[in-house]
Amino acid sequence: MAYPYRHESETRILSRGFGDPAARTVAGWKAMGGYEGIARALEIGREATIEEVKASGLRGRGGAGFPTGLKWSFMPKDARRPHYLLCNADESEPGTFKDREIIRWTPHQLIEGCLVGSYAIGAAHCYVYLRGEFFESTRVLARALEEAYEEGLVGTDVMGSGVDIDITLHVGAGAYICGEETGLMSSLEGRRGEPRVKPPFPAAVGAFGMPSTINNVETLAATPHILRHGGEWYRQWGTEKSPGTKLFCVSGHVRKPGNYEFPLGFPMMELIEDVCGGIPNGRALKAVIPGGSSVPIMSAEDCRECSLCYEGVEAAGSMLGCASVIVMDETTDIVKQVRRMAHFYAHESCGQCTPCREGTAWATRILRRIENGRGTEDDLDTLVEISEQMTGTTICVLSDSLAMPIVSSIEKFRDDYLALIRRGERVGAA
Amino acid sequence: MSDARFRNPGWAGNTGEFDLTEADVRGSEFVGEQPLDGGHPSVAPSLPYMLVKKDPEAPLFEGPYLERFEKIRSRYPMARAALIPALNLAQELRGHVSPETMDEVAALLGLSDAFVRGVATFYTMYNKRPVGRFLIQVCTNISCNIRGADEVLAAFLEHTGTELGETSSDGDFTIAEAECLAGCGFPTCVQINSRYFEDVSAKDVPAVLERLKREVNDGF
Ligand SMILES: Cc1cc2nc3c(=O)[nH]c(=O)nc-3n(C[C@H](O)[C@H](O)[C@H](O)COP(=O)(O)O)c2cc1C
Ligand code: SF4
Ligand code: FES
Repeated sequence: MAYPYRHESETRILSRGFGDPAARTVAGWKAMGGYEGIARALEIGREATIEEVKASGLRGRGGAGFPTGLKWSFMPKDARRPHYLLCNADESEPGTFKDREIIRWTPHQLIEGCLVGSYAIGAAHCYVYLRGEFFESTRVLARALEEAYEEGLVGTDVMGSGVDIDITLHVGAGAYICGEETGLMSSLEGRRGEPRVKPPFPAAVGAFGMPSTINNVETLAATPHILRHGGEWYRQWGTEKSPGTKLFCVSGHVRKPGNYEFPLGFPMMELIEDVCGGIPNGRALKAVIPGGSSVPIMSAEDCRECSLCYEGVEAAGSMLGCASVIVMDETTDIVKQVRRMAHFYAHESCGQCTPCREGTAWATRILRRIENGRGTEDDLDTLVEISEQMTGTTICVLSDSLAMPIVSSIEKFRDDYLALIRRGERVGAA
Repeated sequence: MSDARFRNPGWAGNTGEFDLTEADVRGSEFVGEQPLDGGHPSVAPSLPYMLVKKDPEAPLFEGPYLERFEKIRSRYPMARAALIPALNLAQELRGHVSPETMDEVAALLGLSDAFVRGVATFYTMYNKRPVGRFLIQVCTNISCNIRGADEVLAAFLEHTGTELGETSSDGDFTIAEAECLAGCGFPTCVQINSRYFEDVSAKDVPAVLERLKREVNDGF
C-alpha cells in the first residue's frame, strides 16, 4: 500500500496526489493536469473566474462554509490600492489534519490555488500564513514554490500573461487564535494575534490596512480544479447547498483513521463503519464531534441518519465545521474530554474580551472539579449559565466555540456528569 | 479487518505495511539542502527554528543570516511585519528568546522594547528559557487524548527522568505538552524539534529516545 489513507469508494480530486512523491514536483503536478486551472483563469479574465467559482457553489473549508465566489466578489474592483490574498494555513482546530496533508503531498495544488485566488481578487501578493509547527510540510511547500518561481509560474508575468503575482510563505509562532481571520492579519503585521472588531471587514480594511481576502488551504486547493473543468462539473458531487467533494478527517476510535475524500452529503455511519473499518474491540459508538472541537457534540443516536454536508449536520444538531470527525467509543470519558477542550480554549483565549477570558478559565476550573468528584449538580447550571454569557458577546467566536461543546455535552451526556457528581458525594459522605 | 494497530511510517520508516519510506513521507530528499541565506526571497521567512544546535551567544543577523533578513524585509509593505520572522530567526540561532534577545531584535527593527516583549510573549513557540537539545512536545488534545496521549506523555517523562518542562540532566531532552498538532489521524502525534513523529504509543518511547540520541549530531 502506498498510502495509509485510502478507500476504493473515494472520489479523489484534492487527494489524488497524496502518497505520491512525484506529485510534489512541477512536472509531476503538470502531468496530473496541474497549472491548467490558472491558465484558463488567465484566459477568461477576473470577472469570469469569480463567476466560475460562484457557479461551482464552493464553500469555505476553514469552518464557516461561506461561499467562496461571493467572498471574492466583495473585493473592490478598482486597483488604486494593493489587494492581498491571505491563505490560512494555520490549521490548529483540534481534530483537523487536512491542510497539512495538502501542503506536504501536493504543494503545487496550493500554489496554483493561491494564483487563482490572487488573480480573481486582483492581488499582486499572496501571503501563506503557515502554522509554526509545520516546519517539515512548510519546507516541502517552500521547495515547490522556488521551483514554481524558476519555471515562471509565479512572480512577474505569470505564465507570460503580463499579470504579476508574488507568493510569500510566512511562518507563525504558535497561537490557535492566529487562525481567526483578523487575528491572522494582526499577526502577519507583526503584532500579537489579537482579533479585531468587524466591521470594517477584511475586503475593505484587511492586511496592512488594504483590501484583503482570506481563504483556507483546502478552499484554495479546490479552485484550480473548478477553473479547469468548470463550475458545473464540480456540482456533479455533493448536494444543492453543499456542492463538491471534501476531505473528511476521521480520528479517534476507528480502525483506519485518516483523511478520506468524498462528495459532501456522504453518510456519517458509512464513513465510520465501512470506510474507516468501524470501531475496534467490538465496542459501541458513544459520541461524535463532526467538525473539529468547536462544534456541538453528537450522541450515537444523532449520528444514525446524519449526512455529512453543511445542512445535514445542522439538521442533526451540530455543524460540519472543517469536517473533522472525532469518533468516541463507549469507554470515552466525556467529562474529561470536555475539560481537556476547555483547557485548550482557556489556554488559547487572547484575553481581549472578559466573557471569553474569564469564562474559559472558570469553565475549566468547574469541569476539573466535577472530574475530580468534587462537583455538584448546581455546577452544571453554572456551566450552562457561563456558556450563555460566552455566546455572541465577544470579538471573535473562540468563546462560542467552547460554549457549544459544554452545553451540548451537558444536554446529551448529563448522566456522565451526574455519575461523577454522585460518586463524589458518596465518597464525601463515607 | 483486524484490530492490529495501523502504523504510519511517520517515524519508523517502512513498517512493512506501506511501501513509502520515511524520506518519502517527510519529503526530505525533495527539500534537499536549506541554505542559510534563505534561498529565494519568497521562502526566506520559512526555515525551521527549532534545531539541535543552539548557541545562546550567537550574534543576530550576520553574514548569510543578514542576507536572509534583508530578503525577508523586502517581502512586506511595512517594516514591523518582519518582527515575527526576526524572532523566529533569533530562536533558530540561539535556541530560545530571552528578554535580552527581544530587546536586541527591537533595536534592530527600530521598535520599542515593550512592544516586542508584548509580541514575543504572546506566542507559545518561543522558548522563553533554554531547552534541551531535543524539545519533545506531546499532543494531549482530544483525538490523541482518547487514544492514550496521557500515557505517551507519562512515558516520555519517565524515560527521560524529567518533570514537565524541565531539561534532563544530560541536556538532551525537554518534554512539554502540546495542543493539537494537526496530525490527529495518527495518534499520538509528537513534535520533536522541527520534525513530527506520528503514531507514537507509550511502548515506542524508548526507541524514539534511542533514535534521537543517535541523531544528536545530525542537526535536526
Ligand atoms: C478561533 C478560530 C480559529 C480558526 N482557525 C482557523 C484555521 O486554523 N484555519 C482556517 O482555515 N480557518 C480558521 N478559522 C476560520 C477563519 O476565521 C476563516 O473563516 C477562514 O480562514 C476563511 O476561509 P474560508 O472561507 O476559505 O473557509 C478560525 C476561526 C476561529 C474563530
Ligand atoms: S473571543 Fe476570546 S479569543 Fe476571541 S477576541 Fe475575544 S478574548 Fe480573544
Ligand atoms: S489532537 Fe493530537 S494532533 Fe490533533
